[in-house]
Amino acid sequence: MTDPRPAELDISPPRPSFWRNLSFVWLVPVLALAISLGLAWQNFANRGVLVEITFLSAPGVTAGETTIRYRDVTIGRVEQVTFTPDLTKVLIRARIDKEVATFLDKDAQFWIVSPKVSTRGISGLSTVLSGVYIEGAWDQEPGVQAYRFDGADGPPLVQPGRDGKRITLITDDGSLISEGAPVFFHGVEVGRLEKPRLTVTTDSIVVDAFIEAPHDRRLNSATRFWDTSGFEVSLSGAGLSVNFDSMASLLAGGVEFDSVYEGGEPVSPGHVFQVYPDQASARKSLIARSSADAVQIAAEFGESVSGLEPGADVRYGGLKVGEVVAIAAQVEEDETGPNVRLMANLAIEPDRLGLPAGAGKAETLDFFEAAVDEGLRARLAATSIFSAALIVELVEIPDAAPAVFERAAEPLPILPSEKSNLPDFTATAEGVFERINALPIEELIEQAITMMASIEAVTSSESTRAVPDTVVALLEDTRSLVNDEAMRALPGDIRATVAELRAVVSELKEGGAMKNLASALERADKITSDIATASAEFPALVEDLRAVAKKANSLEAEELVAAATRVLDSADKVIGSEAARDLPPVLNGALDEIRTTLAELREGGAVENANATMASARDAADAVAKATESLPDLSARLEKLVTQSEALIAAYGERSDFNGETLAALREVRSAARAVSQLARAIERNPNSLLIGR
Amino acid sequence: MENARRTQAVLTARRAGLVGCTGCGKVHAAGDTVCRRCGASLQSRDAKSLQRVWAWLAAGMVAYIPANIYPMLLTTNFGKTQENTIVGGAIELFLHGSWGVALIVFAASVLIPIGKFIAIGYLALSARSKVVIRGHGRQHLYEVVEFIGRWSMIDVFVVAILSALVRFDFAATVNPGIAAVSFALSVAFTMISAQNFDPRTLWDAYEEDDT
Repeated sequence: MTDPRPAELDISPPRPSFWRNLSFVWLVPVLALAISLGLAWQNFANRGVLVEITFLSAPGVTAGETTIRYRDVTIGRVEQVTFTPDLTKVLIRARIDKEVATFLDKDAQFWIVSPKVSTRGISGLSTVLSGVYIEGAWDQEPGVQAYRFDGADGPPLVQPGRDGKRITLITDDGSLISEGAPVFFHGVEVGRLEKPRLTVTTDSIVVDAFIEAPHDRRLNSATRFWDTSGFEVSLSGAGLSVNFDSMASLLAGGVEFDSVYEGGEPVSPGHVFQVYPDQASARKSLIARSSADAVQIAAEFGESVSGLEPGADVRYGGLKVGEVVAIAAQVEEDETGPNVRLMANLAIEPDRLGLPAGAGKAETLDFFEAAVDEGLRARLAATSIFSAALIVELVEIPDAAPAVFERAAEPLPILPSEKSNLPDFTATAEGVFERINALPIEELIEQAITMMASIEAVTSSESTRAVPDTVVALLEDTRSLVNDEAMRALPGDIRATVAELRAVVSELKEGGAMKNLASALERADKITSDIATASAEFPALVEDLRAVAKKANSLEAEELVAAATRVLDSADKVIGSEAARDLPPVLNGALDEIRTTLAELREGGAVENANATMASARDAADAVAKATESLPDLSARLEKLVTQSEALIAAYGERSDFNGETLAALREVRSAARAVSQLARAIERNPNSLLIGR
Repeated sequence: MENARRTQAVLTARRAGLVGCTGCGKVHAAGDTVCRRCGASLQSRDAKSLQRVWAWLAAGMVAYIPANIYPMLLTTNFGKTQENTIVGGAIELFLHGSWGVALIVFAASVLIPIGKFIAIGYLALSARSKVVIRGHGRQHLYEVVEFIGRWSMIDVFVVAILSALVRFDFAATVNPGIAAVSFALSVAFTMISAQNFDPRTLWDAYEEDDT
């Protein structure tokens, strides 16, 4: 009992095996390890697929933060933002969830979503606070997985995988079409345009468009596209109309399409359509669809075809049956040498002409051949009063000049034409201008210039200028003569003289002078009757004038001008003739003489003398008796004058003689004046001679 | 020879023929198997103690790995989500100038757990051998490890409190990450590991010395 230690403890039992000794606690770390490894493996296994996306710039993209989204659901995260080795682009490495990554084929598109304001609205507003993210779009078909993508500038207009048809549009003017512009069908937006681009070889602008299903079924070969950009103002018989489709198309542009006829063939994706400037021209393009079926014929117009353009309608009974394809000049050899004919090529659609379906060229030409026999003619017509555009009308003119349809003509059969006779404003105006063009304006002006020169020569001559002075002086003289006291006293004397003269006349009755006087009076009577006759001809003159006015009315300007030219010719000849130039000096001389006569009368105290003479009333009778001796001479002179006057009147019609006669008459007047002057001098020298008859 | 400098020989309970109850501390005679006061089973040495220590330590270390790899905090601020790992968060705090807080976080989340791993591992390895540190030193080390263990949870508390308080939906939200759970587990495991260590074994080596 002194040793408290039990001895048996020193006997060591066999050691329990390592495994039996193992505590259950070891399960804890094993479990922990298993869970950790499991998590790690799961994490690794579910780790997204690393893809690389390149962008030209990556504003706001941060590694580890920026998410990749598909349909606005986060499917991945950017892991690294770096540059391509050549620094041309930003390279973004991102992990995309495995489940989604299988759909990522080469068609997948990525773009950076940031706030954007455009005509289509405001988008990406949520990114203002949350920061940008990268949105992806791809179709629902798993394809060959891709790992490198080029980032797009913006969302694709068409989400990949959406049903629809992608087509190509060609236009000449891309200024009104912008990316994302809507495509309308009857005003409903059914698609969008992609980015317009210039073709390399031509100046055309090509823009792809995507038409969503089910509207893409509307597309067929009868479909025409036209531009609905901006707004359209049209003035027509129906009034003024302003059209625009939507604010979006007003700002961003847009195109609309429609089928312009029934029964178009379906088109395959990628079909190329032309964009027409407006709906009207799109519908006008109808003919293009069956240009293969159209029968081409030609028509020759014997008048100006200005205003007729390719594309103009060909109408039959008001209905469009075809259109003008080309206007061509054709050189033809005939006996007078090469002859240019202006031909309009017409494409006629047989079925629009009312021919049975399937009618070919032969049937159409048969129809024309028969129709031309019955008077069918091609004729130009105006489309409207405001437009200079012309169309070709096929009209039936029953009484048309016979013509044949030149079926065998090369290169195209020729349809006879008729001159357009309708009140075609354009043609009339054209005709007027053509005739005005043809007027001899230059000659007329030349004539006028010559006339003016002649008139100038006449008026600028010294003698002509002297005429007024002379006349003034003459008037002065006359006035002073009239104012003279003696002259005032004359009437009283004259009354007495008249009484004497009465007695003289009674004596004269017995004299032979009366016979001469009577014949002179007879002639005067005849002159008067002549004048009467002339006045009787006045209505005829009025008639003539009326005829002239009529002529003017009927625009026979050529003749009018010709007549005017003739008149001016004559006038020129008159004025230009030597005689006309002599006229003023002669007139001057005459006036001079009259003046001197009067001056002499005054200076010589002729009036006083006359007064004195008259005072001696008794002597007067004797003097008159003597004077009667010279009366026959005076009568003869008077007779001559009358004859000349007569000739003058007779020659009035012939303008060329008129002048000479006038001149002669004036000369006579001059000589008469001279005679008076001599008489006056004689009276001055010997006043009594008149009275005493010496 | 080496131990000649020792001023005092170590008398262990086992050598004295006694066994203490780990539950209430009552000392029994070596032959007793059940505590007469609290009913706990009596063992002079827990033969499977080291196994458990190693097992829990391993579990704690395993759990510590995801705690550092995965994010601790998921901070959502105006739609932007930021993930912070333990070390990343500490570095960020340090860069922001809060180096004091950064130091505390770093100490609580990195230094202490790792120190614990090392300390427990060292104690477990050296339990039955005579090493440089004497029995008393190792006893102190054990006490320190056991005391400081709970403070490692400071990071978990921060995450828990933040997650509960910062709930402003879009403006700001804090969510615990996987690392928070892992870290909590790691701390818990190392605490259990430390608790399972039978400090009595630290003295066994000296027992043989004296024989």
